[in-house]
Amino acid sequence: MIKITNDNFDLDTEFKCVSSDTNGAYSFFLGTVRSDLSSSNKKIKGIYLECYEELALAQLKKIRSKALSSWKLNECLIIHRIGKLDLGEKIVLVITASSHRTNAIEACEFVIDSLKIDVAFWKFHLLDNDEKETVLQKNLDNEKMLKWKDIIN
Amino acid sequence: MNITLKYFSWIRVKLKKSHDLIELNQTISFKEFKNYLISKDPVFQEIFDDKSVKYFLNLTEIDDDDQTLNNGDILALLPPVTGG
Repeated sequence: MIKITNDNFDLDTEFKCVSSDTNGAYSFFLGTVRSDLSSSNKKIKGIYLECYEELALAQLKKIRSKALSSWKLNECLIIHRIGKLDLGEKIVLVITASSHRTNAIEACEFVIDSLKIDVAFWKFHLLDNDEKETVLQKNLDNEKMLKWKDIIN
Repeated sequence: MNITLKYFSWIRVKLKKSHDLIELNQTISFKEFKNYLISKDPVFQEIFDDKSVKYFLNLTEIDDDDQTLNNGDILALLPPVTGG
């Protein structure tokens, strides 16, 4: 299941969507809005997430499909929020389900690493006076993907 | 023919709009289209000089400047993504 939404989500409800007695292991990644400083050292009030939804959905489907086949998952759920989010709010949820833990854990890491560099979402810091600051991609996120190069190719 | 342009992140902020509809008399290559846009607004020069910007035509990344644009195409200009 893949969802891009303005709305908050409930962890128990989403877990029920992937829960099955055929699974022996689940791995979760939950990304939230952390208190951070802008490039000019101002405290941020929250974030704004922009998305090219048609493209992001296609890219997420591709990542999910790779995760399902490469780690023999039984299920993979990805939810990403868009719009204005306050500090502490949930941004992204990945749940992978498999028979054994190694597959679920590795696949979950692959999905979030891929999402960070390959899906059409853009983050802005929200500052006082409704000012927005573009968040730049981190080199570290690109370097992390090297780990998965055999999966991507 | 019509080409829809979609702008995201800092490109949208810089251009102060999220999209454009460009009317042309004939089919055109992506390279020619970039030159056309620069002639209309020099801000596009800065965008096209940024090697980190990616271009998607109808949801598929463009990897050839000579690719032809056709009536009804949607061309998106995408800075490096920062979701998650």
